Amino acid sequence: MSKFQCKVDRQGQKLTLQLGGIIDEDADFAPLALQGAQEVQIDLDAIKSINSCGIREWIKWIGANSTAKVVYAKCPKVIVDQMNMVDGFLPAFAKVESFYVPYYHEDSGSEKNILFRYGVEFKEGQIQPPTEVKDESGNPMEMDIIESKYFKFIKAKV
Amino acid sequence: MPAAALMAYLAIALKVFKDDKVAYVFDTTSQMSSSIAGQLKTRLDNIVKLTQPILVDLAQYQDFSRLSRAFLQFDSSLQSMAIMVWDDTTGGYKVGPVLEKEAYGFEKFWTQWKDQWNPSLVQLFMNQTVVTNPFLDDRFTLVQKIERPNGRPLLVVLLFQLSDFSQQFQTLSAQNFFLIQKDGKILLGPETYLGQNLKDSLPVRFLDLNRQAGGSGVETITDKKDVNRLVSYASVGWGDLYVVSTVTEANALGAVEILKRKSLLFLIVLISATTILSLFASSSITHALTKLFEATGEISKGHFDVKVEVESSDEVGALAENFNKMAAEVSRLVVQTAEKARMQGELETARMVQETLFPPPRADFGSLEIAGFYEPASEVGGDWWSYTRIGDHVYLWIGDATGHGAGAALITSAAKSAAGLIETLGFSPANALQALNKSIYDVSRGKVMMTFFLGKLNIKTYEMVYCNASHEAPFLFKSKDGPYKKKDIEFLDQNNNPRLGQGRDSEYTETTLQLSEGDLLFFYTDGVPDIRNPKNEAWGEREFIKGLLTSLNTSPSSHEALSHFCESFQVYRQGTTLADDLTFFIVKNKEDKNREVSSNEQVSM
Repeated sequence: MSKFQCKVDRQGQKLTLQLGGIIDEDADFAPLALQGAQEVQIDLDAIKSINSCGIREWIKWIGANSTAKVVYAKCPKVIVDQMNMVDGFLPAFAKVESFYVPYYHEDSGSEKNILFRYGVEFKEGQIQPPTEVKDESGNPMEMDIIESKYFKFIKAKV
Repeated sequence: MPAAALMAYLAIALKVFKDDKVAYVFDTTSQMSSSIAGQLKTRLDNIVKLTQPILVDLAQYQDFSRLSRAFLQFDSSLQSMAIMVWDDTTGGYKVGPVLEKEAYGFEKFWTQWKDQWNPSLVQLFMNQTVVTNPFLDDRFTLVQKIERPNGRPLLVVLLFQLSDFSQQFQTLSAQNFFLIQKDGKILLGPETYLGQNLKDSLPVRFLDLNRQAGGSGVETITDKKDVNRLVSYASVGWGDLYVVSTVTEANALGAVEILKRKSLLFLIVLISATTILSLFASSSITHALTKLFEATGEISKGHFDVKVEVESSDEVGALAENFNKMAAEVSRLVVQTAEKARMQGELETARMVQETLFPPPRADFGSLEIAGFYEPASEVGGDWWSYTRIGDHVYLWIGDATGHGAGAALITSAAKSAAGLIETLGFSPANALQALNKSIYDVSRGKVMMTFFLGKLNIKTYEMVYCNASHEAPFLFKSKDGPYKKKDIEFLDQNNNPRLGQGRDSEYTETTLQLSEGDLLFFYTDGVPDIRNPKNEAWGEREFIKGLLTSLNTSPSSHEALSHFCESFQVYRQGTTLADDLTFFIVKNKEDKNREVSSNEQVSM
């Protein structure tokens, strides 16, 4: 099991956090105070999982922010699921800059995560998925999600 | 065993010491014999050399001159010198010219000696030179043969006295010295041996007739009295004389015997001391071990508070100390086990109590068919589901507390109690969850939260009002011809509200949904896609949906669909412990459009 990890880069009023590992009851967000920063970018690429206790800690932490503009980047599926389900996980002041969409090929079992970027593959209320995603063997892949549920946070219908 | 080893070592050490001592004695006595023989040879050489000018003088003047008489005075030991000449009339040798220090000295000597002359003569003609002391005292004669071109050889007889020399042979001590001839006759030696043949008392081998005379050596013999002796001998180099030294082995190896006795004494003392110390030490160890044995007996009777007194700092002391630690640890573990058993019992009781919080897994309310499943990850869980019919409405509850286990179970119990009360008040779902939120918040103070979904379904109109508090959105499968596909899934996600317990004053919204005959609802907690196989791989949303669709498409009733779905994840799970509590239930509006809803609903266990 990989413990919760965080790398902090503060440049002026911009705070960049790189989070990784497992967000659970042991995840300590205390050193990651957002006060004083006007812009916070949270890179979630290395997050492996999050449980209900971790969600509680996350909401307490992110909910304490009052002024900063928060951006979630490279959100894996475990984070997107929580954004869609848990009220307060993606607060109104937070935006999603990019997130991963899992794809798979039924016959070969190949899987791939495609990064959807704001302004390219999605924007408010709209999804513009890649016209075609193929695995390494050239097989066409389909989204490994229920789209109406997964893209709910964008408040759009594909 | 150690005593035997010491004895063996002692025997070997004594053997080595004895051999070394024998070698030393041989070496020493051999040197002494050679030294005495060397002294005698030197004396005889000097005497003979002194006579050479006298013989030259005799050859020139046919008699001893005054010069010869002067030479005679040079050596104190030489007493007389006589020339024996052949007498044809008697057919033997007679005394010729005589040179002597004392008048008529030789004549007196000759009177006594002439009877032994002939044997000496035989030896003379065999050996060229004969040295002997005919009267076994300090008077010696040396007879030399001088060949002459015409006539029989002259015989030169030297009479000399070796008083100082003979004295060192006379002392009878542990080591005896003998001057003997080749035939074994003892010329000088302790008085009791004089004139005897050495071979009569000592069977020495170097005097064997077939051995060549001369040289020196050592040998070990056993005499006639069965006494072992160390013998060394050295040839004088004049005539057939030998100097022989003998010493009994007992005397020679006296030091060895002393060493043996002292060693044995030391060994006995050592073994005795070791035995006493061993007995003392073993008694001490036995005493400590007896205490330990008694203590283990006490432990076997369940008296874990026993303690052994640590009396030493050695291994036995360490053993006693470790025993005390072990006993203390066992005692602690017994208490802990008892406590654990008590807690286990309480958890078991809690599990049984919690089971009463859940409704029967199957129910039919008119055309409404309900089938549910619940399995906690441990004895008690944080999931809860329920259904209750109040008049024309059926309340459908499903919730998931933060974490799982006893803490989560307690909050679900509180939620269940509050929910039961709320149902009777006829609250709408939003108001119901708002009230429940306050209740949970007051109980947990924000430490434990619950996701919740509450649906209030009118079983006459199939209108359902629901409120979702951040719970997994239930699936809606609209009635259709043909099998369900993934794209057919609709989500009851038109509202989403804060989790219960997150904030006391949170507000909740609700949504109204019109269901149709044949529609099916699937409620679940996040433990379903998190089911793990033995490789700790999660079942995942894709396989979960796939399994659910298969179950729904192959089963005519919700009860059968639930059973089929259970089988599909049990196959994947293979008995693996759950990572999270597992809850789901199916609600199906059976396609019996004309069926009247009566009050005779069936609830099956």
